[in-house]
Amino acid sequence: MTGLRPGFRSLLGPLVLRPAAKDRLRFLLTISGIAVGVATIAAIRLANASVLSSFSDTVDFVAGKAGVTILADGPGIPEETLQRLAWVRRVGATLAPAITETAAAGAADGEVVEVLGIDPLADTAAREYSFAEEKKEEKIFLEGEEGEGHARAANLSSIFERDSVLVTSVFAKRNSLRPGSPLHLVANGIERTFRVAGVLHPVGAARAASGSILFMDLAAAQEAFGKVGRLDRIDVVLPPGLSEDDRARFEEEIRASLPPGTTAGRPERRTETVDRLVRAFRVNLSALGLIALLVGMYFVYNTLSISVLRRRTDIGTVRALGASKRSVFTVFLAEGLALGVFGSAAGVGLGVALAKGALLLVGGTATELYIPSAHPSLHLDPLVLLFAFALGVATSVLSALAPALEAARVDPAATMRHGSVEAVRRRRTRPLALTGVVLLALAFALALPGPVRGLPLFGFLSVFLIVSGVSLLAPAAVTFAAARLDGPALRLFGVEARLARANLTGSLSRTSVAVAALTMALAMMVSVAVMVGSFRTTVAIWVSQTLASDLFLSAASGKSGASFGRIPDEAIAVVRDVDGVDEVDPFLAFGATRDGVPFTIGSGLFAFIAKHGNLPLVDGRDTRKVFTEALGKDEAMISEPYAEKFRVKTGDFVELPTDKGPARVRVAGIYTDYSNDRGTVTLDRAHFQRLWPLTGAVTVAVKLKDGVSPEEGARRVSAALQGRYALRVRTNATLRRLVLRIFDRTFAVTYALEAVALAVAVLGVLNTLTALVLERRREIGLLRVLGASAARVKRAVQYEAAAIGGLGVVMGVLSGGAMSLVLVHVINRQSFGWTIAMHAPWGFLAAALGLVLLATLAAASRPAGLAASTDVAAALKEE
Amino acid sequence: MGARVTADSVSKSYGGGGGGGDESRAAGVDALAGISLTLEPGSFTALLGPSGCGKSTLLNLLGALDRPTGGRILVDGRDLATLGEDERDAYRRKTAATIFQFFNLLPTMNALENVALPLLLDGAAPAEADARAASLLAEVGLHGKERAYPYELSGGQMQRVAVARALANRPTLLLADEPTGNLDSKTGTQVLDLVSGLVQERGITVVMATHSVEASARASRVVRLLDGQLLP
Repeated sequence: MTGLRPGFRSLLGPLVLRPAAKDRLRFLLTISGIAVGVATIAAIRLANASVLSSFSDTVDFVAGKAGVTILADGPGIPEETLQRLAWVRRVGATLAPAITETAAAGAADGEVVEVLGIDPLADTAAREYSFAEEKKEEKIFLEGEEGEGHARAANLSSIFERDSVLVTSVFAKRNSLRPGSPLHLVANGIERTFRVAGVLHPVGAARAASGSILFMDLAAAQEAFGKVGRLDRIDVVLPPGLSEDDRARFEEEIRASLPPGTTAGRPERRTETVDRLVRAFRVNLSALGLIALLVGMYFVYNTLSISVLRRRTDIGTVRALGASKRSVFTVFLAEGLALGVFGSAAGVGLGVALAKGALLLVGGTATELYIPSAHPSLHLDPLVLLFAFALGVATSVLSALAPALEAARVDPAATMRHGSVEAVRRRRTRPLALTGVVLLALAFALALPGPVRGLPLFGFLSVFLIVSGVSLLAPAAVTFAAARLDGPALRLFGVEARLARANLTGSLSRTSVAVAALTMALAMMVSVAVMVGSFRTTVAIWVSQTLASDLFLSAASGKSGASFGRIPDEAIAVVRDVDGVDEVDPFLAFGATRDGVPFTIGSGLFAFIAKHGNLPLVDGRDTRKVFTEALGKDEAMISEPYAEKFRVKTGDFVELPTDKGPARVRVAGIYTDYSNDRGTVTLDRAHFQRLWPLTGAVTVAVKLKDGVSPEEGARRVSAALQGRYALRVRTNATLRRLVLRIFDRTFAVTYALEAVALAVAVLGVLNTLTALVLERRREIGLLRVLGASAARVKRAVQYEAAAIGGLGVVMGVLSGGAMSLVLVHVINRQSFGWTIAMHAPWGFLAAALGLVLLATLAAASRPAGLAASTDVAAALKEE
Repeated sequence: MGARVTADSVSKSYGGGGGGGDESRAAGVDALAGISLTLEPGSFTALLGPSGCGKSTLLNLLGALDRPTGGRILVDGRDLATLGEDERDAYRRKTAATIFQFFNLLPTMNALENVALPLLLDGAAPAEADARAASLLAEVGLHGKERAYPYELSGGQMQRVAVARALANRPTLLLADEPTGNLDSKTGTQVLDLVSGLVQERGITVVMATHSVEASARASRVVRLLDGQLLP
């Protein structure tokens, strides 16, 4: 190494730094190529980490000092559980029961807020509260001062009356609240007025949900939210000084005293659940980022390989002067490293900016599914940034390996002429193409196996192999296409076509890499567009089939798009009695877990579906018949994502958690459901209510009598509910529009990512063409000597660009088509459990591809102009 | 019939900025300083002189690759300075052909395509261009090498392809810039034999820049250049 250093340093200037300084634009383009890939990956990971950390913060703050948290697998923990657990108090542990609910504050469309109903006497042992009074600050719970803690707890409870709530200072400020202010809360379709009894400092539990949390008395919360006799969680504060073994034993004993359908574990496990929920989403987006990074890799390869080619003579000279192979190799590797460092640094910066967009996407999904009140803020995790940076640097160094090796192989006499270097490369065309074909065959084979731990790993590998296989076919494709430029094209387009052909094959190693990079970016765009387009069409068709009712009612749910809370039975009765309403179908559901994986247990009126047949079945059987039979036999219907996720088939039995132990229900059929990927087990309402003591509905579908328009129906229903219940009434048309709007919003970032990758690929064509024109200055000068006009020289470069662009488009469409098959039938299905029918968005594709072709030609105008303005005499003098 | 070429007080200076005037000229380098010369049709003239004497500059001016800063060049009575860009392109395609020391073949095209290129540039039909290129290659003794790429040919063979290419559009003026400078003496002699034979057959006017006395001996007239001026 010591011998290498001075050599390395003296070579860096002439071989790397000075040429790079001369060719700044190309180096900037290369750096931007890496930056995009790194940015994508950084953004997605940052957004994901932010959502998770905001969620785990909430989990931590709410859990407070609890060592064990008891949660229900089903709709709640029976209150008697507290008695069953009374023994833990005798060993020094404390039980802090709580109700958790989500409400809209102020009005039906107000800020979404978490409500925690607590037992003021017990809660101070688990959670910390600090009052922010006008003048004095009083800390309610002081660690280690049991007596004082209890005394203050009494103080805390005295604040609690039936209609009192404690708010956080953040929330109070946002809503201009002071002690004594009235606060309207809408929960479960009913608006209630509370009084602010105190404002809490952002300490302990008051920090949960970014301060969007209220505290009220447990009994009051049970009554207000229709949860009398039930609890949502019990936090157990363990006695101090427990060893890990004791703690595990303690946890085991607690578990033994729990009723069925209830689980005990460390509070963190809920974060894992959310992680699992957003994992498929994150992995899919990360894969997109990896493809972008791959395009960046091609950039580095191309730039360095052009550098090596252009500096062959210089390399030969320094080798003749005694520079070792190793130092030449190191110098070019260092160039790759430098490109990687600059590109990755820019990428990390760009990624932070992009992360805000990605946060809306990932965050939106997580909050809609799980925590409507969360406001995940961007958390710049240094580890995530470091990971993205390292990935960018590693890939550029990796792509610098081949050109660096080639540089090291340049012999000191530099006797090999340019043409023969390319000739050697041309001879590799066939073996490369054969390898490409083998990879494509492998890609096909890898699309067949199932998921690995719920993730479509083989699917991703298959996409990766398609990309690699097609890239290896690029030289063969360029050769094939170039040959077509002679013959008939020669007569049609003149000698410029032959010049373009000669340049394409003459610089095959460069042109084919440009084609491969463009192909890759286009394949990514085409496949994602086809996937999203297919998905959208499938969802639109499904929505029009399933949304057979005229009106849809949900509990008012504040600003968040997600609905939560339940519509009370009384409200449903009111709706049923409205003049013009024919039928109502209440859908009631709650979240449950199976082996720690969340899913939904729902219920509807099977008779309603049997009558209207509006829920398509996966196997194409008659919905009416299957639902009628299921109704008669008390059987369940499951959604397709549930069937996929838990590998359940028609005729299998599913176990559902109830207070009396698991209920075994036979599956009568599988229905298509694109509304969520958690998976749902649906029972008839009567059957459901026999198993769980739940009333009301999450949503209510309303069929109007003939002759009543949806708008008129909505007006009448709203009028009937006015002043009594805060419900959201949507017509069929509005809901359909809403569904598609949510859909489009979800995929908006995807399109943004694609657009960026595509722009970079077009810049890649510009990059390659500029390099080729600079490299061919002498040849261009010669053409001018032979009497070719500047316009013809320009045209030849444009034809070359058109050929690269056209080839990229054709190969991009073909490989994108193949990738979309894998995305739709393998990756999407294994990640989310949805069957999607292929629908290519032809209009969009045609427009996008046309645009790419135009952009490529536009990008070519600069190098073409450069070629046209070549100083003939000067160019010929260069040797 | 070869071209009649007249250079009338031709000068060329490089650098010195665009301001014009005596100062700038003084700052620049005078590559040619008022050269007057007449080349009869079908003559073979050697421009003899050391490197930097202005040989290549003169050839570039004769080939309409560059414009003189003073004086004028008439080819068959036409002043090259009056030609527009398109006319200059056409002049290089049809009238003045060039061969170089480093052959300057397009490395991305085979021998046949290199020779056919000027024909195609001049609008010949592809089949016709290929046929003429093949016959020219046969004439320079490269029958069977039509598909060979430049890197597969020896220096002498490459220069033969360059000669064939130069003759493709039946020029009346052939400008040869050190055509043997990159060849061993035996091959150089062969190439010179070829060139003088072919041009005599066709009556083409030839101007060859060289620093080799031996090579210049092949010419019917030797003009000596030194520091941009003709030696008497």
